[in-house]
Amino acid sequence: MAWHKPNGLTQAMQSLRLTSAISNSSINASRPTFNALRTRTYATETEAVSIPAAAAPEIDFVSFSQKPARIIPASRAYFSGSPRFIDALLELEALQARHAGLPTVAPAEAPRMAWFKLPQFRDFVGEPVPNKKYKSLVKILQQLNRIQPEFLPADVRDTLNKFLRPGNPYSKEIVPRTVDESGLARGKAKRKESHAVVQLVEGEGEVLVNGKNIVNVFSRLHDRESALWALQATQRLDKYNVWIKVKGGGVTGQAEAITLAVGRALLMHEPGLKPVLRKAGVITVDPRRVERKKPGHVKARKMPTWVKR
Amino acid sequence: MAPGERRALKKRIVLSNPNALEIEGMVDLSAETMVDSRLRGTVLGLPMPMIDQLRAVEAFKPKQGWSIFRRPGTVLRRDTIEMGRLVEQISGEGDKPQKGKVAKKIINGMKGSGKSVHLLQAMAMAFLKKWVVITVPDARELVCANTAYTAVEGTKPLQYIQPNAVSALLKRTVEANRELLAELKVSQNHPSLPMLQPGSTLEELAKLGFADPAISWAVFQAFWAELTASAPAAGLEKGFVPRPPMLVTVDGLAHWMTESEYRDADYNKIHAHDLYFVKHFLSLLKEGDSLKNGGLLLYATSLSNNPNPLALSIALDRLTAHQAGISASSPEYPNPAAYSGADERVLELLKPAEKAISPVELQTLEGITRDEARGFYEYFALSGLLRDSITDQWVGQRWSLSGGGIIGELEKLGRRFRAASA
Repeated sequence: MAWHKPNGLTQAMQSLRLTSAISNSSINASRPTFNALRTRTYATETEAVSIPAAAAPEIDFVSFSQKPARIIPASRAYFSGSPRFIDALLELEALQARHAGLPTVAPAEAPRMAWFKLPQFRDFVGEPVPNKKYKSLVKILQQLNRIQPEFLPADVRDTLNKFLRPGNPYSKEIVPRTVDESGLARGKAKRKESHAVVQLVEGEGEVLVNGKNIVNVFSRLHDRESALWALQATQRLDKYNVWIKVKGGGVTGQAEAITLAVGRALLMHEPGLKPVLRKAGVITVDPRRVERKKPGHVKARKMPTWVKR
Repeated sequence: MAPGERRALKKRIVLSNPNALEIEGMVDLSAETMVDSRLRGTVLGLPMPMIDQLRAVEAFKPKQGWSIFRRPGTVLRRDTIEMGRLVEQISGEGDKPQKGKVAKKIINGMKGSGKSVHLLQAMAMAFLKKWVVITVPDARELVCANTAYTAVEGTKPLQYIQPNAVSALLKRTVEANRELLAELKVSQNHPSLPMLQPGSTLEELAKLGFADPAISWAVFQAFWAELTASAPAAGLEKGFVPRPPMLVTVDGLAHWMTESEYRDADYNKIHAHDLYFVKHFLSLLKEGDSLKNGGLLLYATSLSNNPNPLALSIALDRLTAHQAGISASSPEYPNPAAYSGADERVLELLKPAEKAISPVELQTLEGITRDEARGFYEYFALSGLLRDSITDQWVGQRWSLSGGGIIGELEKLGRRFRAASA
């Protein structure tokens, strides 16, 4: 175990032991280099020179220029942190510069393209691209997309296609829902925590909410009016029967969920009412939800009262 | 504020609004108009001489909105005309007279569906037909432990009398039916009332109970015996007039279908059915002609301040099922859930009889029709409270918003639009 604490004496003893052991062995002659290595002399002694060192081969300067002296990254943006993104950006910028002279169409007439969403793009390049930078990339994509389709070069088309979401979402046309064979239109809507499903049929103005009279569900007239506002604003209250299922949330939320659902169901019966309903505020969805509570706050924003100590 | 002033303000009933326009040619409720189906949907004024009588029996309630019109009036709706025909029948008039018939009805319906006003219309009709009208305007007052009570010794389970409440009942009955009672002479023997002068009228008999609440229950019993007498007792035949039919109304029946707020000597709650007053009126619902000279029993439920006893809702469901032809052995027949503790006394009282002569009937008031609603709103317009032109579409909108013609809601809407247009 002397290896752990080498000092002058133990080292000397070790070298002696090794010398005697190897000189006695039969492999001594076959492995002279090993023996020479082990019988290394101290630095203070002069080393016995046995073989002269071989010289390096001559440098061939003709072939040297072809081979790099070190590995060079494929991308010039290798050290930037997001090389694939920057490459893509540079490629697009180059394309843009190259085809700047091509005629373009108005943005509304350009073919509709479903570009990658930000998380998808991050997966695509495998790099944490910030939103703002991706937006600038999309802007270039859109500008390239505005080139008149008949003049669109093949390389631009191929490049643009690389940035499309798989399974083109705009390929199939959205079929608007219609009234079913029994004359029933079904509309669904949410507001706050409430969820309403409304079935609208032509009738005489009967209303049932969860199988109950609307007066029993909404004792406030305001809630009743807002629930049936789509019909009231279009003067259709006495022309349809409404059958409503609503759950979750409070009274106001339920009433306003019904408003939206009735509006959607009414649009199935009479699509021409859309501008009127939009003006009545029945089309626009109110997506607001309760703001989350934050740590350190009493509620979403309220801070605890300041106490001196 | 002086003591009692706030309560008086709360209970104040305003029947006229001098700012509202007087409607020219407004038809009054009368023996002819109350059964006239051509007038269906119009608002009939209550005859002005009758207003005091209706006030005496506390037919008007503070929040009924009489105060926005020039004079009180009610809509002649389908249920009203049907009741008018029934009243006519019991009075022995009309197409199918059935003199001496007793109709027993429990009036049920949504809040604001016009149950109390239905009772008021019944009272008005009864006054028109010269019936005796006996009312309990608020059933809750009998069980909320606000009026004195005394135990009757020797009864088991112990029964209780509420002398002041009985006295008040006699007072309002006499005040409302004074003319009628002054014509009727005592025709039975009343050994419990030695102070009663022979040959005195029923008014005088009832007045005995005003002064001395201690004997008011005995007086009431005598009074009731006189009103339900079909023939005079021996020796008292002189001047006997056949007794008129009676209208008995109770508003807020649910309060009588549970335990009262009164306590017995052991501080246990007294069941409402152990109060003589309550028991008397509930016993009228039992099988048989409880009103010997015929009449109408109208017991309305109320959804404001409703104790909502389980047993009553089951009993009413049973009545509905019975009317729909579901037999008591059927699995669809409503029964209380096991361990629900539904009050057996209530279930027993309101049990639908299989073959009854005068069964208890459940009448559910629904909303009024669009045509009736239109007539109602025309009354608003004629009173100068509405300035919109009343079209079918306009009425239809209000009809839907009011949950299908719930008249209380229609009235609220009418008031609201008045405020909006003013």
